[in-house]
Amino acid sequence: MNGENLYVKLKNAILEFDVEASQRVAEEIVRSGADPLMAIKEGISEAAKIVGEKFESGEIFLTQLMLAGEAMKSALSVLLKALPSGTKVAKGKVVIGTVQGDIHEIGKNIVAALLSANGFDVYDLGVDVPSLKFIEEAERVKADVIAMSALMTSTIGVQKDVIDALKSLGLRDKYIVVVGGGATTAEWAENIGADGWAETAPEAVNVISRLIEKRGRRT
Amino acid sequence: MKITMTEIMERALTGKICREREFDMTLYKRANELVKEYGISYDPKTPIPKDPGLANSVFKAGFQLFCELGAYCTSTNRIISFSEDEVKEALKYAPAEVWFGEETDRKALTPRKPEDKRPPWCFLGAAGAPVSSEQILSSLVEGYAKIPQINSVTTPALTRVRGVRIRPGTPLEILGTMETVRIAREAMRRAGRPGLPIMNAVATATADSSLIAVLNREYGLRSSDGVLVGILAELKTNFGQLNKVFCTKSFGCRVVGELGPAYGGYAGGAEGTAIVTVAEHLMGLMIYQADCYLSFPIHAIHTASSFREVLWVKSVSAQAISMNTNLLTLYLSYIAAGPATEMALYEIAAVISTDVVSGANIEAVGVAKAKYEDRFTPMEPKFSADVAYAATRLSLQDVNELVKNLLSKYEDKLKNPPLGKKFQELCDIETGRISNEYIELVKKVKRELADLGLEML
Repeated sequence: MNGENLYVKLKNAILEFDVEASQRVAEEIVRSGADPLMAIKEGISEAAKIVGEKFESGEIFLTQLMLAGEAMKSALSVLLKALPSGTKVAKGKVVIGTVQGDIHEIGKNIVAALLSANGFDVYDLGVDVPSLKFIEEAERVKADVIAMSALMTSTIGVQKDVIDALKSLGLRDKYIVVVGGGATTAEWAENIGADGWAETAPEAVNVISRLIEKRGRRT
Repeated sequence: MKITMTEIMERALTGKICREREFDMTLYKRANELVKEYGISYDPKTPIPKDPGLANSVFKAGFQLFCELGAYCTSTNRIISFSEDEVKEALKYAPAEVWFGEETDRKALTPRKPEDKRPPWCFLGAAGAPVSSEQILSSLVEGYAKIPQINSVTTPALTRVRGVRIRPGTPLEILGTMETVRIAREAMRRAGRPGLPIMNAVATATADSSLIAVLNREYGLRSSDGVLVGILAELKTNFGQLNKVFCTKSFGCRVVGELGPAYGGYAGGAEGTAIVTVAEHLMGLMIYQADCYLSFPIHAIHTASSFREVLWVKSVSAQAISMNTNLLTLYLSYIAAGPATEMALYEIAAVISTDVVSGANIEAVGVAKAKYEDRFTPMEPKFSADVAYAATRLSLQDVNELVKNLLSKYEDKLKNPPLGKKFQELCDIETGRISNEYIELVKKVKRELADLGLEML
């Protein structure tokens, strides 16, 4: 099978949410000597685009989105090893979580899955995340973005606490900070000094992409 | 025999251990297998179906899903499970009426059936939307208490106390909760309804510690109020929620099991979400020992209830519950548009008539998704109550036609809705009087709705 056919095969495996098949095809691509970078562009990125469109139009749902993200990750881990060292593939590193005191996960999980499906390295801290944990994780993984979700009107204040802590530690300019979640608004994001806000998960991916493109990647 | 909280805790501590992701995936897989097994199918051309066979299948599939999967405890990563016999017995002896409120405002919440001619219980107010000041909170609650059809109040959520923004699980949240209750009680007394129950218990208290702190008649909730305890999405709970249940029950207060299954989330599409809505009622019965239920199926991305698919989920799940059980269920809706817009009134007419004709009682209403400070007034719950009473004269087929008409007016704007105006722009803060402009808009829309068969005049 030639490279182009293998790239299509990889795309289809991801679109069938088949994690094991995606990894197998990626291994086949490496063994065949086809270009791993092209496989990422033609196979994984193309699949990511389609998955995002299908999710937005309601053709697929959260669980399939998560499986597609897993399939892409498993293929990517194989292809990355075959690339010359130093080649940048991921669009950026995002540390994401729902703030302390808030246990709502679905909105945050959709954003995390969409970011993964769109080629970002995502570090998901889960829900009820202590404020300093966002910063510690961002420092540890050399993140580009800290993304915080809050659904409740009583928990959005914690988003401000994280931004204030970044300022106090002299780290504010190091990270792009985006906020979202049911209780947040554009006005709120501006008031607390966030760099971006999105009403919906697909918009969040666009906002983060634009902000990283504008500022450039850290690593 | 009744399953006690000690037994629930034993199961939470010794049940089958499972990774959370595995539970989520199993739920999606099994729910969608059951959709096929029971031949459940969403038809966008019939958002409000009259099909008892469909409603019964949704109930059976939801029952089977809960009995097979149980519920997931995120504090122990274990599954709390029940036998079919245990669930059947609990259903058999579930309370068929529950009393709320005091003195002349004491009343029984009772179950309804599809196309029931009796008016629904009207749980009215802000659905926890944020309010910027104590003065506006007071004026709003007085306005709610003046609505003739009101049976219980859902207060707004204070976002600040003494000018400091509230943080979860802190003394600020406890103080904010106390202040909300104090102001709300005074406002209800001014309106001549001092015994009205507060049933959202109260939106400011999100942490278990904050809620438990205000279970105190002197400065907080009464045993005649209701306490919402949320089921985590989907079919999950944790020790914080169980703490709320145990203390609420010990206080002698009614537990309102709250569930918000997300269309497009772990349950998948409309069919899976309808099944999970039923399963979460059963989880509320078994684990929260709920006296009644507050259900709000919602769009996972756009966080509103007025989408066509969500209306279908609301209708078939409410029919399934009300036809097959005596569970006392109220359905809550979040609309996308803001106050004083035609779209908001169309959305309210669609969601409330759907809930009422499908056999539910109502909570109304989350305006502009209940996320914008002060962007709601007493007019929207009043209009909701008017719709609710009028909808008792309609059949499922009537509401299906009505909803299709209404969807044609607002469906294309749901992803970019008008936000309308704030309370301060539409009401006099001192008197609570609503602007003539808004009153005239409501009259105009009521005339339009009458032409569509929903007669409120």
